[in-house]
Amino acid sequence: MSKPSDLIQGTLDLLILTTLALEPKHGWAVAKRIEQVSEEVLQVTQGALYPALHRLEQQGWLRASWRTTETGREAKFYELTKAGRVQLEKELAQWARLSKAVGLVIRMA
Amino acid sequence: MKLRWKLRRWWNIARMRLRSLARRGRVERELDKELQFHLEQQKEENLALGMPPAEARRAALRRLGGMAQIQEECRDMRRTNYIENLWHDLHYAMRMLAKSPGFTVVIVLTLALSIGANSAIFSVIDGVMLRPLPYPEADRIVRVFFHSATYPKFPLNPFDFRDFRARNRSFDSLAGFTRGDMQLSGAGRPERFAGFQVTAGYFHVLGLHPARGHEFNTNDELPGNGRLVILSDRLWRSRFAADPDIIGRKIMLDSQPFTVAGVMPPGTDHPGNEYHGVAHGETVDLWWPFTFRGDPAQRGSHYLEVIGRLKSGITPAQAQAEMNGLIAQLAREHPDALEGWQALLVPLYQEIVGPTRRLLLVLLGAVALVLLIACANAANLLLARATARQREMPVRAALGAGRSRLVRQMLAESLLIALLGGSLAAGIATAGVRTLVSLLPAGFPRADTIHVNAAVFAFTLLIALATGMLFGLAPALQAARTDLQQSLRDGGRGSTGSGRHTRLRSVLVVGEVSLACVLLIGAGLMLRSFVNLLRTDPGFRPEHVLTAGIALPDEHYKPAQAPLFYRRLVANLSSVAGVRAVGVGTDLPWTGYDDNIGGFTIEGKKPAAHEEFHARYHVAGPDYFRALGIPLERGRFFTDGDSTDAPLALIINQSMARRYWPNEDAVGKRITFEDKPKEKDWMTVVGIVGDVKDKPDSKAAEMAFWWPVLQSPVYVNAMSIVLRGSSDPAWLVNALREAVRQLDPTLAVADVRLMDQIADASVSTPRFALFLVVLFGGLALTLAAIGMYGVISYSVNQRTHEFGLRMALGAKPFDVLRLVLREGIQLAVAGAALGVVGALALGRVLGSLLYEVGSTDPVTFASVSLIAIAIAALACYLPARRATNADPMASLRSE
Repeated sequence: MSKPSDLIQGTLDLLILTTLALEPKHGWAVAKRIEQVSEEVLQVTQGALYPALHRLEQQGWLRASWRTTETGREAKFYELTKAGRVQLEKELAQWARLSKAVGLVIRMA
Repeated sequence: MKLRWKLRRWWNIARMRLRSLARRGRVERELDKELQFHLEQQKEENLALGMPPAEARRAALRRLGGMAQIQEECRDMRRTNYIENLWHDLHYAMRMLAKSPGFTVVIVLTLALSIGANSAIFSVIDGVMLRPLPYPEADRIVRVFFHSATYPKFPLNPFDFRDFRARNRSFDSLAGFTRGDMQLSGAGRPERFAGFQVTAGYFHVLGLHPARGHEFNTNDELPGNGRLVILSDRLWRSRFAADPDIIGRKIMLDSQPFTVAGVMPPGTDHPGNEYHGVAHGETVDLWWPFTFRGDPAQRGSHYLEVIGRLKSGITPAQAQAEMNGLIAQLAREHPDALEGWQALLVPLYQEIVGPTRRLLLVLLGAVALVLLIACANAANLLLARATARQREMPVRAALGAGRSRLVRQMLAESLLIALLGGSLAAGIATAGVRTLVSLLPAGFPRADTIHVNAAVFAFTLLIALATGMLFGLAPALQAARTDLQQSLRDGGRGSTGSGRHTRLRSVLVVGEVSLACVLLIGAGLMLRSFVNLLRTDPGFRPEHVLTAGIALPDEHYKPAQAPLFYRRLVANLSSVAGVRAVGVGTDLPWTGYDDNIGGFTIEGKKPAAHEEFHARYHVAGPDYFRALGIPLERGRFFTDGDSTDAPLALIINQSMARRYWPNEDAVGKRITFEDKPKEKDWMTVVGIVGDVKDKPDSKAAEMAFWWPVLQSPVYVNAMSIVLRGSSDPAWLVNALREAVRQLDPTLAVADVRLMDQIADASVSTPRFALFLVVLFGGLALTLAAIGMYGVISYSVNQRTHEFGLRMALGAKPFDVLRLVLREGIQLAVAGAALGVVGALALGRVLGSLLYEVGSTDPVTFASVSLIAIAIAALACYLPARRATNADPMASLRSE
């Protein structure tokens, strides 16, 4: 199984959950949104996005449904479940802890 | 709140998995569509950036990455690969098994037999030991006994019991019971039914309630009030047509009117008893009130069995301590009666199941050993085949199969084998349990609760899976560990890596042989013990003897009349053609009697301090001993002359003669039960008869004496008739019934049995154990032989080349034969040696199951080891013969 080179898996999960917290989106929109918001710093390996989406769906954090886009195409939209929101809270808290710790280490060094 | 989310999430996950599996096509199409949509979007973006259409699509594809890989990863995420792979593995395993049917049949059959044997024994253990007793809160029910240095378990005196019942604080209720069969007359032939006299609260102790009517109260225990009866459901249905108005009706029992007070529901199990005819399970049909008769100051006679329900929170030990306190209290009030006695409380479960525990655990151990051997055997066969498939694994590995994937594939194969074996085993167990139950020794507790049920099937499935993992893991790991390059390069000849293979297989075979030896030594010990048992002189001659029981109703037969009835019956039967001897007696050998009497005086002797003279007491008619074939050692048998007005006579057994008159002639010596005897109170020993032990495997005979029927101080209404015929006595049954009918047509002839049957039943437990252990031992030996054959065959195949060379260099076929045999015998000797060590360590568990043979009996150990080695050598012989056929020319050419 190949892993996205520039993003560790947990981070990708966090990004996806955050992105979907606002509104349901399809896969491509998720990828675009992550790139836009991060000002193109985080280039999501698009190939890694789909296995991650499917895994989150399998774990019950996401719910998927087929809807029509503004352009009239059918696309698979993902949205957060209640459990997904709880998970997002957890991951955010964890991320904050981790980044604080890493920041400390960097400043001390 | 949180829990609800969690549950919902699990539900979602389960639904998703199921969907991914069951609607694979649709899920795949959706995945395809999803990725296509992505590509389209990206392409449109690229177009908007001004790329030419073809370039826009290519760039989009590049950006997304390998489609096939993404799809595979998505599938992985959905976890469906795992299950699909398992399916493929099973499918493949099935094809591989079908390819070598011989291998499959051997391995599946051996596993099925061993798993089936385990399941069968488990179902017995489940029914007898694991299933709770059929009483509510049965763990609070205890049996109460008296206990002394001489008598480990003794029944209580009724008045002692009544005082305990009134004074204790440990019991919710305490009840006594004693055997009291009665004869029901009315329509049809009179019939005797198993009955018990019970005190008030007996059913309360058991936690049972009559389905109709009510249980007895203390008022019913008073003399004159006891003409009440509670019927079993079976008796109510079979003899009273389930009459709904039965309560209050009068029925004739022992020719007296009894009022029906209640009917018990079906499934009213007897809790078991120790004395006066043991009953088990749902065999009791009548319960009637126990009556407290006689003088409460006289507390010498002990015959009441006691059972109690402890208050919740009270332990048996606490209750026992309280009982001992009460005994001390009572001993002060009745100085002689209670001296030397202690209370003994035994939980009912232990009392019922305890005696069979060791036997069942030994059997479970034996089948577990068989299963271990079967596992080793299966591992061995799989290893052999893994070697035959030596090229398959490296090729698969070279084609990209991961190590864990290879292990999983091999495990799928062994699991499939185990499950095939397991399902066959379920069938074997079902048939086996039926056979087992029919073989169970007489009086085996709770035999009727043994069934093959869901628990047994679950157990079978569980051990099938466990065995599959156990015997599959070693070969699987071994196969996955093969060195890829080596093996591929090595090609078909492949002897590399097999050094480790061979070593592992040798270890397995040594293990198999040693386990088989342990089992066989156990079987050998039990065989010797059984032979000892059969060889023991029973002390009587059971052949051609018919026995039956008759009970004369008190109402019609005054104490003086009963002896006359029996004398007439014996006289009438003596004249029947084919009858050699007829006698009557209160007891029959090996049927469980335990009536002791103490406190008599022996003329000219004094008992040791804190002891009293005591012995078993019985009553016998003139020809009783001759009919049973009990030899007269000295003096004479009873005659009709030992009548009411003749001097009191006594026959004693050798044990009593040796104990009380050592180095003297006991004949002519006198004893008495009176404190101040007059001349006529002395009983003179007129004869000494041979000893008969309580049970064939009892250590020694108990001291015993017999009164003549006409002089008996105890009532002799109920007697056993003993008829010795000149040939098969079964046809004497009709003559006996006819003779009884002529004297009294209302009497029932009960318990008609051949003495042979009684003798047979009394060795049924050791025979049952022996049969099973020998069966398992044989199975173990066969498995070990198969394992040995497999290893040696394999080794011969590997070394064909070498043998050819040896023969080319001048070795004779015999030399090669010897070489191969030596290899096998070395393994066998190692296995046997380990087995002997194991058996020495484990032998002690057999302990009480053995009779007159030590658990380290050298003869058994030596002969079993030799047999095991001989069988192993035999198993090596065929492959060894094949080795001698190695073609020297072929070997030379291939060099």
